[in-house]
Amino acid sequence: MHKNTFVKWETIYRYFVLCVVFLIVIFPYYWIVVTSFKTMGQISSAKSIFIPNPFTLKNYTHLIKDTHFLLWFKNSLSVAIVTVIITLILSNLAAYSIGRIRFRGKKLIATLVLVFYLFPPTVIFIPLYLMLNKIGLTNKLEGVMLIYPTITLAFSTWFLISFYRSIPMELEEAALIDGASRFQAFRKVILPLTLPAQTAAAIFSFSWCWDEFLYALVFLQDVGKQTMNIGVYEFSLADIYPWGLLMSAGVLMSIPVIVLYVFVQKYMIRGLTAGAVKE
Amino acid sequence: MKNSNKIKIKQLVRKRGFFLKEERTAWLFVLPLTLYFFTLMIYPFINGIFISLTRKLVGFPPIFVGFQNYIDLIHDWVFQRVIRNSFIYTFGAVSIKLGLGMVMALSLYKGIKGLRFFRGFFLLPWITPTVISGLIWVWIFQGYAGFLNIALMGLGIIKKEIPWLAIPNLALFAVIVANVWRGFPFFGVSLLAAMQSVPQEYYEAAKIDGASATQRLWHITVPLIKPVIIVCSLISIVRTFNDFNLVWIMTRGGPARSTHIFATYTYETGFLSFQWGKAMAISIYITPLLVIAIIFLSHYLLREE
Repeated sequence: MHKNTFVKWETIYRYFVLCVVFLIVIFPYYWIVVTSFKTMGQISSAKSIFIPNPFTLKNYTHLIKDTHFLLWFKNSLSVAIVTVIITLILSNLAAYSIGRIRFRGKKLIATLVLVFYLFPPTVIFIPLYLMLNKIGLTNKLEGVMLIYPTITLAFSTWFLISFYRSIPMELEEAALIDGASRFQAFRKVILPLTLPAQTAAAIFSFSWCWDEFLYALVFLQDVGKQTMNIGVYEFSLADIYPWGLLMSAGVLMSIPVIVLYVFVQKYMIRGLTAGAVKE
Repeated sequence: MKNSNKIKIKQLVRKRGFFLKEERTAWLFVLPLTLYFFTLMIYPFINGIFISLTRKLVGFPPIFVGFQNYIDLIHDWVFQRVIRNSFIYTFGAVSIKLGLGMVMALSLYKGIKGLRFFRGFFLLPWITPTVISGLIWVWIFQGYAGFLNIALMGLGIIKKEIPWLAIPNLALFAVIVANVWRGFPFFGVSLLAAMQSVPQEYYEAAKIDGASATQRLWHITVPLIKPVIIVCSLISIVRTFNDFNLVWIMTRGGPARSTHIFATYTYETGFLSFQWGKAMAISIYITPLLVIAIIFLSHYLLREE
């Protein structure tokens, strides 16, 4: 009896905490969505702040018709996709080798990967800028595509190493005995087994690119060349914050990551915890 | 079958210098990544160290000045504030994130209905583009018609609107809050995953011995998930210390330099006043902390096989 009431109270308490955290998390988000449907007048008068009244789509039409938003969106998308492809190719090759082949220097490479996993863009963005400027790659999407893997590669490799290591070694030993080369064994036997890990690495890298701000701010100055984050950020440099415009952009920018996320929450969580939790 | 495979492998090894070939293949596989690291990370880093030893003005060749930039920075009052701000920002934000993450993980752990639902929503801040989350917090904290002021005035706690982002200490507090909101899910999800890997028998045995819930938390859960707590905190310390996005979007280092941290000051010095040497020296000052964090982390993460 005593024990049961204790369990009950514990459960109630936990739900209470969850609901508080839930409100903290959801509130700013609710605010973004609601504001995106408000008129400029309502936003500045701070009246009936919780519901849009009158409801309007003007912010969205204004954003899409009168600004470069769609172009920025396309830029962000192409940069992210190219980065993900480069990341997957380089990190898979390296992770396979580190995870499954014995060789001298392996430990060194693994350490290097860990170092670069923590390496902040803050330390290299200036020399990178000067370097790319010299070869004429600033203000070009290609330049950003070239350097974005600096953010995604180390993590992706680190994540994939543990995955490759977890696949039984016997699998490709058989293929190697049958005369397959390492690359064939990798491509035909092992790679197909890693699809879940590839998905996680790809999604993680994608969301990282989608959020990237510093490099884009430094490398892309022309309005037509910017990514979404920078374009939208520059709206906020006006004398008065155009909240309606900013928040409608916020909703549209979040959609791709949220959609990805809803479909593959499991992989996303795997990616997020991979750095810290060993499986 | 297995045995005959092993014998065959041995023959293979003897026949063709198998290991030599293996080594070559292994290096061939890691070569692209290594090349990338060298050209786009290591080379720029070394180059950055050289830049930090020079004074360069636009249109003139750089002049070698030795450690002058580093010495000047020690006497630069803004840089002194930057150090102070960075430490407050980092340790303030990381400790609250750890606390909130722990609360989140404990509440979600075992036997709660709707785990997936809650966990799903709790990750929302983490996937929201930083530009947007930064701006939404600007609005919550803004003086005129900001949500926090409306709420506090509605509750009768304050009489006049407070311009949170215009008052130095409050502005630093505001960026910490925004950082916590964005970053605590990382802790929550990681700690939850760690807790779920603790064998259930430990708890049952402790229950039989009459240990209370708090005792079980301190004597079983915390010691067993300690490595994850440390790793998460270290990663978060490095990331928060080097943060640029949130601070730049919310305050651009102001008011009166009260929220300037390493990255924002580096950016301002480099790209707004074009003092590349000084800017590089600021960011190189981060490396000792980075090295310490990496040594600790490799201790936890490189224990393999």
